[in-house]
Amino acid sequence: MTEWNTKRMRHVPDEELHPYLDQALSRSQCVEIETHLAQCEHCRDRRDTIAALRDRTTALLGQLTPRNLIIPPPFEVLAERLSRRPVTPLWQIRLKRAGLWAAGVMAAVGTGWAARSVLDPHRNPAPTFQNELAPLANAVELGSPAAPMTAPAESQTLADAAPATTLPLHDASPRLTSPRQQGLRLVNAGHRPMIIPAPMLQLASALTPMPERSGDVTPSARLEGRAPFGPLWQQVQWEDALERAGSGLPYIEGMLVVGVLLKAGEAGERPTSLVAQQDPSGELITSIEGPMTQVSELLKAQGVHASELTRTPPDYVSAPGGSTRRVNRVLAVTGRLSVDSLNVLARIATIR
Amino acid sequence: MEDLERLYKTHYAAVVRFLYRKIWDADRAEDLAQEVFIRAMAHQPDKPRAWIFAVAANLARDEARAAIRRRKHLVLLKDDPVPLSTPELTADETVEHDERWAQVTGALAALTERDREVLLLWDAGLSYPEIAAQTGLAVGAVGTTLARARKRLTEAYDRMEYQADAARS
Repeated sequence: MTEWNTKRMRHVPDEELHPYLDQALSRSQCVEIETHLAQCEHCRDRRDTIAALRDRTTALLGQLTPRNLIIPPPFEVLAERLSRRPVTPLWQIRLKRAGLWAAGVMAAVGTGWAARSVLDPHRNPAPTFQNELAPLANAVELGSPAAPMTAPAESQTLADAAPATTLPLHDASPRLTSPRQQGLRLVNAGHRPMIIPAPMLQLASALTPMPERSGDVTPSARLEGRAPFGPLWQQVQWEDALERAGSGLPYIEGMLVVGVLLKAGEAGERPTSLVAQQDPSGELITSIEGPMTQVSELLKAQGVHASELTRTPPDYVSAPGGSTRRVNRVLAVTGRLSVDSLNVLARIATIR
Repeated sequence: MEDLERLYKTHYAAVVRFLYRKIWDADRAEDLAQEVFIRAMAHQPDKPRAWIFAVAANLARDEARAAIRRRKHLVLLKDDPVPLSTPELTADETVEHDERWAQVTGALAALTERDREVLLLWDAGLSYPEIAAQTGLAVGAVGTTLARARKRLTEAYDRMEYQADAARS
C-alpha cells in the first residue's frame, strides 16, 4: 500500500498520477489509485487536469514533426545498404583496440624511460662517456709499442681490457651515505654484480689541475701532452687489482670505489696503483700507492696538491749477485680538498 | 530480423521525429533514422526498441557536436526556422503555423536537457524503464521528471503565446 493511502484521506500526489495516466504502474498500484479516486473528488479533478496537461503536451510536440507523413523506405533497401558495407569481425575490432591500448602503454613507458634517462642527474651520461673514452683508448693504442715488452698483459686496449669496473662487494664494505650510493647498495643486496662504467676520464681529470678542468679544453686535448696516465696504466676491476697488487691497494673506508688503475712495476716490484673513490658529497678522492719515485714524479708532473707522502710496506727486490734491494713505497691522497683533509684521509687509508 | 523489420515499420516515424526534435533538419533526421536501423540490423540488439532510441540519441549528439565544429549553430529558436512545408494551408494559416512552431520549439528549448530528453523519449513511445535505462534516472524519478517537464513546457508555451499576442496588439 502506498504511503499516501495509509493515512486517512491523503490525496494522490501528481508524481503518481502522471505514471498512472501513462500506464507505468503495476496493476495493484492502479487498483489502489482507482479505489481512492472513486472516493476523492479532489484527486479526480487533479487526474483530469493532468490528463489534459498530458494531452496538450502531446499535441504541442505533435507540431514539431518534420513532415505530415513520414514514409519509411523499404526495409530491403536498408538491408542492401548494410550488405554493401565492409563488415569488420568483432574479434578484429577488439584486437585492434587491444593493440592500440598496448601501443599506448608501450609509448608511455618508453617516453618515461627516455625522460628519466635524460633528466636523471644521478645516471651516468653514457653517450658523453663513450665519446670521451674513445680518445683515451686511441691514445693507448697509438703509443703502446713498448707496452708488450714490459707488461704483456697490458697489450690490450683499455676499452677491451677493462670496459667496466666492478665494485668491491664482499671484502670492502664502504659506508654508503649518499642516495646514489645507497641505491647502488640496494642493487648489490640483490646479489647482482654491480658494474659501473669505468670512469677513465674522471680518473684522468682527478689529476689534472682544476683550472683546465673547468675550461674550454676538450677532453681529447686535455689528455694529449699532459695525460697523467700513459699506455702503461691499465684500468682493472677491483678483484683483479687485489690479485695483481698483492698488498698495495689503497682504500679509504666509507667511500665508494669508482675505478682502479694499475701500472706494472719493475721486476719484483708490486705495481703502482691508483684508486679513485667518491666521498659522500660526490667529490672524487684519488689514492696513489707505489714506489716513492713513481708517486713523486706523478704528483709533480700533474701539479696537483696532495697529502703528505705516507710510507707503506716496501718491496724487497732481488738484485744481481744475490743481494736484496729495498724499494720504499708511499701513499698519497689527492683531490679537491684542503691538504689537511687529504692528510687525514691518508692516515685512515688502509692498504689491502 | 522479422522483429526488427516490424519495429522498423512501426517506429521509423517516431525515430525520425525524435531526431528531428534534436537536430531540426528533416532530411538529416531521416538519414540518421535509417542509419540507426542499419546499425540495429548489424548488431541485432536484445532490446531493439530501447537500443534504437539510445543510438538515435547518440547520433543526434554527434550531429550537434559536428555542427558546432562546423561553426553552425544548432537552431532552436531563430528567425529562420525550418518548419515543414504546408502547401495545403493558406497564407494566413501558414504564418500562424510557423508562429506556433516557433513557440513550441522555444518552449522545448526552455526545458533543461534532462527534462527535454525524458519528454522526447516518452513522446517517442518508450516505457518508463526504457527511459530510465537510457537517461540514468531511477524508474521512480521518470514520473517526477515527466510531470515537471510537461508543466514547464506548457507554461513556457503559454508565456510565449501571451508575449506574441501582446506584440500583435
